[in-house]
Amino acid sequence: MTAGTTTHQKESMSNGMLGFILFLASEVMFFGGLFAAYFIARADSPSWPPTELLSAQQIADGVKLELEVVLTAISTGILILSSVTVQWAVFQIQRGNQKGLLWGLFISIVLGAIFLVMQMYDYTQLHFRADDTVFGTTFYTLTGFHGAHVLGGVIIMTLILGRSLAGHFTAEHHEAVEAASMYWHFVDIVWIALFATLYLIPA
Amino acid sequence: MQRSLKHIRLLATLLIALVLGLGSASTALAVQPGGITDEAHEMHDLFLIMLYFSIALFVIIASVLVYALIRYRRKNDELPKQVHGSNRIEILWTGIPIIIVIVLFTLSLITLASVEKKAEQNALTIEVTGFQYQWKFVYDLNDLGEGEFAEDGYITIIGTPANEPELVLPVDEVVEFNLKSTDVIHSFYVRDFLYKLDLIPGRINQFSVTPRETGVFRAQCAELCGVNHSLMRFTVRIVEREEFDIWIRETVKHLQQDQDNKKTVRVNEGKK
Amino acid sequence: MDWLTTVDHKKLGILYLWFTLFFFAVGGILAILVRTQLAVGENTFLANDAYNQIFTMHASAMLFLFIIPIWAGFGNYFVPLQIGALDMAFPRINALSFWMLPPAGLLMFAGFLVDGGAAAGGWTAYSPLSRQAGMGMDLWIMAVLLLGMSSTIGAANFLVTMFRMRAPGMTMFRMPIFTWTMLVTALLQLLATPVLAAALAMLFIDRNYGGAFFDPNGGGNVVLWQNVFWFYSHPAVYIMILPGMGIISEILPVFSRKPLFGYKAFVFATMGIGALGFSVWAHHMFTTGAVLLPFFGIMTFMIGVPTGVKIFNWLGTLWGGSISFKAPMLFALGFVSMFLIGGLNGTFSAAVPVDFALHDTYFVVAHIHYVLFGGSVFAVFAGMYYWFPKIWGRKLDERLGQLHFVFMFIGFNLAFFPMHLLGLDGMPRRIATYANESGWEPLNILSTVGAYIIAIGMIPFIINLVLAFRRPPDQPNDPWEGNTLEWATTSPPPVHNFDSIPPVKSERPLFDARQENTNMENH
Repeated sequence: MTAGTTTHQKESMSNGMLGFILFLASEVMFFGGLFAAYFIARADSPSWPPTELLSAQQIADGVKLELEVVLTAISTGILILSSVTVQWAVFQIQRGNQKGLLWGLFISIVLGAIFLVMQMYDYTQLHFRADDTVFGTTFYTLTGFHGAHVLGGVIIMTLILGRSLAGHFTAEHHEAVEAASMYWHFVDIVWIALFATLYLIPA
Repeated sequence: MQRSLKHIRLLATLLIALVLGLGSASTALAVQPGGITDEAHEMHDLFLIMLYFSIALFVIIASVLVYALIRYRRKNDELPKQVHGSNRIEILWTGIPIIIVIVLFTLSLITLASVEKKAEQNALTIEVTGFQYQWKFVYDLNDLGEGEFAEDGYITIIGTPANEPELVLPVDEVVEFNLKSTDVIHSFYVRDFLYKLDLIPGRINQFSVTPRETGVFRAQCAELCGVNHSLMRFTVRIVEREEFDIWIRETVKHLQQDQDNKKTVRVNEGKK
Repeated sequence: MDWLTTVDHKKLGILYLWFTLFFFAVGGILAILVRTQLAVGENTFLANDAYNQIFTMHASAMLFLFIIPIWAGFGNYFVPLQIGALDMAFPRINALSFWMLPPAGLLMFAGFLVDGGAAAGGWTAYSPLSRQAGMGMDLWIMAVLLLGMSSTIGAANFLVTMFRMRAPGMTMFRMPIFTWTMLVTALLQLLATPVLAAALAMLFIDRNYGGAFFDPNGGGNVVLWQNVFWFYSHPAVYIMILPGMGIISEILPVFSRKPLFGYKAFVFATMGIGALGFSVWAHHMFTTGAVLLPFFGIMTFMIGVPTGVKIFNWLGTLWGGSISFKAPMLFALGFVSMFLIGGLNGTFSAAVPVDFALHDTYFVVAHIHYVLFGGSVFAVFAGMYYWFPKIWGRKLDERLGQLHFVFMFIGFNLAFFPMHLLGLDGMPRRIATYANESGWEPLNILSTVGAYIIAIGMIPFIINLVLAFRRPPDQPNDPWEGNTLEWATTSPPPVHNFDSIPPVKSERPLFDARQENTNMENH
């Protein structure tokens, strides 16, 4: 069988893949709950960010409900790029290209790690904490849980990279790679939604 | 002879069920107060409709059930007719309930609209604040409804653990309540209003009623609010307007300036 | 030990059953404490604080540690058997699902040992009260998060199993009805439970990191908690009843000797309840002043329609049948009659203006218990008596079973019917004590007596279990003349479940196989 031509059509996905997709559905609902909380908090607020809620003490302490858009736009671009590279890795293994798989995974892991580092740096540059109005609470909760999922995704991709190095994957059998890339795309899509919601819409 | 026996059995089952049903209905009726406000009367009427509907449905279904259990109990090893279902029956017993449900919902919507009508501007307004674990009622003297009072000031009634506060209201007049909380969620529940509304921090909830009966009525917090939730009780005393004016006048004699520079009289009244 | 490392769905199913029955007993003891306190007015048997912890843990244990996981137990054992599969799709994840439960139970009850005691804000943990509570609340949050994760991954496991591992010939519309109810339940668990996880995370952040999700001072919204909580917890109540309805729908046909009336309608009604279940959550919040009342009113009324269809189909199953009253059937019939009452008293709360009076009173406590006890618990015992021979190869004694049923039926109605009247008379929920002048004592005494009768009724059941385990396993494959594939193998089944599977041509493969044999014998 020539590489890359017949692996997709009639063959339905495996049990493992179906289970994984169902698990992703539950993750969507989890983030849905958090997003709903954010939208309700915003809708309730006369202004956003709700600076009028800051106490004198908070203002004196230098609390500012402001976000860093430029840095985050760059990290968003990096995350999107990492989705492209991991999908490229999938295409490579579909063609049986082991080296492509390894490189694609490796680059995605590095980009993902860079995203995480940039996020953590961003946290240190902000002038508010989780207890500084619901603006702070929703920001750190949403980005924090997302960050945890990014970390999970980086770990998953690293494990898959390890298995790739051990030669576990072929053009015919590489479902775990597809699952890992799907997870990574999911994490990316959630981030795009977050970035748009938290950063772009208020502006 | 066999056929009429069967009919008699069916009839007997239905009769027993009817008697039981009526028995429970009358018990329920004996216990549910009819309510003392205009709004309560309407809500009680809706309750009665729901009650009759439920009893009727229960009687019918229970009779069919009991009848089937008696009539179709196993007598031999023969397999009964293996009926899988009937599309026609399914449509019937899906369609009819849908219609019943729409009717009941419409009735409840009509009652709801009537109950939620807002009071006029000059209605007696009482601010109710719930806190762990008692109540505070504030009458603004400028807002006393039909009887006017030519003074600025507030009557504040605060309950204490030893003294349950008494909320005094004039009969046959609209009264509006503004509900607030300073700590957790409480619920303002007067049994004879057949109504409750929550006191929620960060929110002001509002409702109005027109009481039609004088007397003293029980009330208590109806949302778990902490360790002494069960002690967060108060009473509502509804009196004729003249008596209400006398009460106001007597209470207002003790108006004093308080720390917020408002003229207030604080009353620690009540039972117990 | 084999039991600690097993991934066999049958062993895990048995572990689930023991675990959940243990917490049923714990929850039951807590209930007896509650009822003892409430028997007389101004009772001092329990201090207010202790009372609040006890009723909170009663509900939390019953809902999170008993009724939700016990269906996973029955499902684990019987879904693979009913569809003719070897095991669940993911046996190791299956084991993980179970083993998350004991730590969750420990965490939750560890609350009694910490400063401030166990969670005491009701199983509904309304904010801001739940923000005030001590560490017991944090333990409760972590326990429920664990239980939620167990539930969610278990759900994915069940779904893949049911979609992918059915025996040849078993189309979706030939699956046993219990399996169908497990399917819809699994969908609800998969999609609703994560929202609870989000809510719990938010509460934990508010409590421990100064978050303002639910704090109006910080721009948060108190009612948000109720919205997110009930968005899960309403579908959760269908998670708590649907498999029970499935069990009843297996038992009624077997003991009436005719098929389930309207099998397809039943499947669609189940899906309808599942879907509609997501649209009614705010009917728990009618008195907050923050809800679009007409929408939730009509949706709540609507959900009564598929529920009614189920009751009618059960009646249709019995009608024209050949009914025998063995213990499983007694409990099944108890379910039908008690669930009927629970469904009807629910319609009162669906009528919004009537709910204004009834909300947060004992009327609602009556409703909850008619559907959860009269419904789900009766279904649990129906399933126990029905499937006991298959799981353990012995039958439970019939007379002890009847005794158990009579005590439970009478005790249950005595305990909970008076609560309708108490609620109508204005007795609120969740009160540790009530004034002597309220006049509520007589009905409360009656209710407490009923509760004790239920407790006494458990004695014949326990004796029955002990005696049964003392007997040697002697049951045949199919002691009840069942319809579904679990009866086509030995009692208990071998490790690999089936030596051979009969052909599947309808939703009653075993019935069809018996008919074939009878026809062959007659020719």
